[in-house]
Amino acid sequence: MRSKTPQALAVLLTLALLVAACGQAAETTTTTTTAAPATTAAPATTAAPVTTAAPEAVTISYWHTMSDPETAQLEHVVAAFEESNPGITVETTRYAYDDFKAALLTAIAGGEAPDTARLDIIWVPEFAELGALLQLDGTMPGFDEIAASVFPGPLATNHWQGHYYGLPQNTNTQVLLWNRELFDAAGLTGPPQTLAELADVSCQLSSGEEQYGYALGGTYFWAPAPVFYSIGGQVVDEGVTTASGYVNGEASVAAMQLFSDLYNQGCLSPNLLGGGIGTSDGHATGLYAMITDGPWMVDIYEGSYPDFEVNFSLMPTGPDGSTSSVVGGEDLVVFADTDQQEAGLQWAAHLLSEETQLTMAEVGVIPTLSALAGDAALPPYFDIFMQQLETAQARVPHPRWSDMDNAINNAFQRVLRAEQTPQEALDQAAEEINTLLSQ
Amino acid sequence: MTATSAGSAPAMRGRSTGLSLRRLGRAALFLIPGLAVYGTFLLGPMVYSARISFYDWNIVDPTRSEPVGLGNYARAIADPVFRRAVVNTLVYTLVTVPGQIVVGVAMALLLNQAIRGRAFFRVLYYLPVITPWVIVTLLFEYMFVGQGGLVNWLLRDVLGVIQQNVLWLADPILTFVPIHLLGIWKGVGWTAIIALAGLQAIPQDLLDVASVDGATPVARFRHITLPLLRPVLVFLVVVLVIGGLNAYISNLLITDGGNPLDRTHFVLTLMYEATFTRLDFGYGAAISYLLAAFVFMVSVVQIRLLRRRVEL
Repeated sequence: MRSKTPQALAVLLTLALLVAACGQAAETTTTTTTAAPATTAAPATTAAPVTTAAPEAVTISYWHTMSDPETAQLEHVVAAFEESNPGITVETTRYAYDDFKAALLTAIAGGEAPDTARLDIIWVPEFAELGALLQLDGTMPGFDEIAASVFPGPLATNHWQGHYYGLPQNTNTQVLLWNRELFDAAGLTGPPQTLAELADVSCQLSSGEEQYGYALGGTYFWAPAPVFYSIGGQVVDEGVTTASGYVNGEASVAAMQLFSDLYNQGCLSPNLLGGGIGTSDGHATGLYAMITDGPWMVDIYEGSYPDFEVNFSLMPTGPDGSTSSVVGGEDLVVFADTDQQEAGLQWAAHLLSEETQLTMAEVGVIPTLSALAGDAALPPYFDIFMQQLETAQARVPHPRWSDMDNAINNAFQRVLRAEQTPQEALDQAAEEINTLLSQ
Repeated sequence: MTATSAGSAPAMRGRSTGLSLRRLGRAALFLIPGLAVYGTFLLGPMVYSARISFYDWNIVDPTRSEPVGLGNYARAIADPVFRRAVVNTLVYTLVTVPGQIVVGVAMALLLNQAIRGRAFFRVLYYLPVITPWVIVTLLFEYMFVGQGGLVNWLLRDVLGVIQQNVLWLADPILTFVPIHLLGIWKGVGWTAIIALAGLQAIPQDLLDVASVDGATPVARFRHITLPLLRPVLVFLVVVLVIGGLNAYISNLLITDGGNPLDRTHFVLTLMYEATFTRLDFGYGAAISYLLAAFVFMVSVVQIRLLRRRVEL
């Protein structure tokens, strides 16, 4: 008897573990199966007859990295979709931007990828190359029509090796933000119109550690990109084959030289090196007279600095008289592994509809439908971003863009730390990018 | 002490020789649940990642992965960023392990005194240990902000030792000041509790006899406390070194992936970046195996060297 007890105990423990494991698996399946009929049952009081009559109920997942106001607005978008598509439930999951890529990869590797997601435009080629995304041209009903109705720049970010793997869900760019109070105090009438003026004004508005004329959020490519592109800088050639003569070309070097000079003269805040005061706080508190940033700043300032007056201006023009900036935004993608392809594509079409785009615009999300440009329903401050978008440029559409970004980032750091001249640093970056292109 | 252990040893031996197959079978029954969990969640993934480390791994469709032999390992050893990460990790370990032990033992000595509110101080010193890494890291990062910031204010406006703000987190060397300080600060509570347990096992009679013989407190510490604390210290060194080599969260948050210039990585942050930012799973797996091999070697050497004079 005495020896039986521990044996029985061990068996019990093993069983308990097994049951726990099975129980968990069962739980996941039941949630999906019960969730689906629940939606069809909702309008009716008797569940059973309705489920048989209604089209097969499905649930699709949608992962995103939206802000608080955007997430709240998304609920209306989902409600509208579910109403017009009975039988389809959209399950949204929000991630922090920094964790999103890892979360997606883990899910993909585990065969648990979402059905649809909103990805940063620079990730689409990377995920497309992995084979994780559904090719939309030739698969999605009405794709050509939708593709023709959106801005070509944002659409191009979905293009990888001859096919489209997403649709531009929203777009944005950066413009110049200038603190009117500081400009007035210095006797300046308005924001700089040319990059030469930007440099002068930056120094005029700088005073030691108390105030800087201009500040960048960091040295990663997104931060210097508006000035870099306005001055005529390029990362690679149009065919994305080489960086030689582009990232280390004359204009690109001139951009780097401009930042280096401003930094050394104390006219560009050292926060871009890392660990300083962020540009959005610094700009609102009068530490940074000018910054470059996107349309979301209106909502951010409304929340944290309600009394601060936000002033936007087009990026100052470069030597050839033209202004430019960098295209940002997110693309809607459907995952290749989805077993709800049809519903996923319906959801994609809904997100690209005028109705949805106008709903999201209420919280500062710039639509990608060209027909909406200048629409009276859009917030007035969108005008300047739409105007800037006309000449804004996309970053390199390549799966190794993150590494290329890092190469430029490091080159920028070496210049600011006076370890290399702009030419030397960018020559090195060109070599590194060429290696990435050849892989 | 010696008498007791000598007396119980033969008895133990006598019992263990009576081990039969039946007993083994019964033991196995108890072991199965644990082994099943260990196999599924530790051993399985370990073997799988060993396999990944020999491939240019495709996470979506593993059948499209290309075998590269030892290529990922060779790449790591030749990679200047990896080498720098190894140096950074070693320096972190060499700074924070002695730091935690010295401060921790000093704290344990204080907590071992009959002072008022002893329990309160014990809780207080242990608090950093149970505070989540992420929260205290963000707090340290905030204190070391380069423009203004608490530390700059203290050094510039209060103590007057610096003329200008220091951009702590923008410098590939100074970034480690908050990281090292945090490593020590967060660890001392645990070190102190373990050391305190060791101190309390030291017979008071020995210390009393020494004082009667006229030994100063310093002499008592050197010749009685420290030698008797040695097993505890060995344990601390081994565990803390493993912890130091595996440091991760504070660095990841403060340097945001090796910033500036990929010069501030720890081995684990580089592994994370290679795997989840650059999707280079084979390379990430190779780095983790190199680290595991190194930690294993260091631990074996440590235990061998230190065991000579101490029974662990």
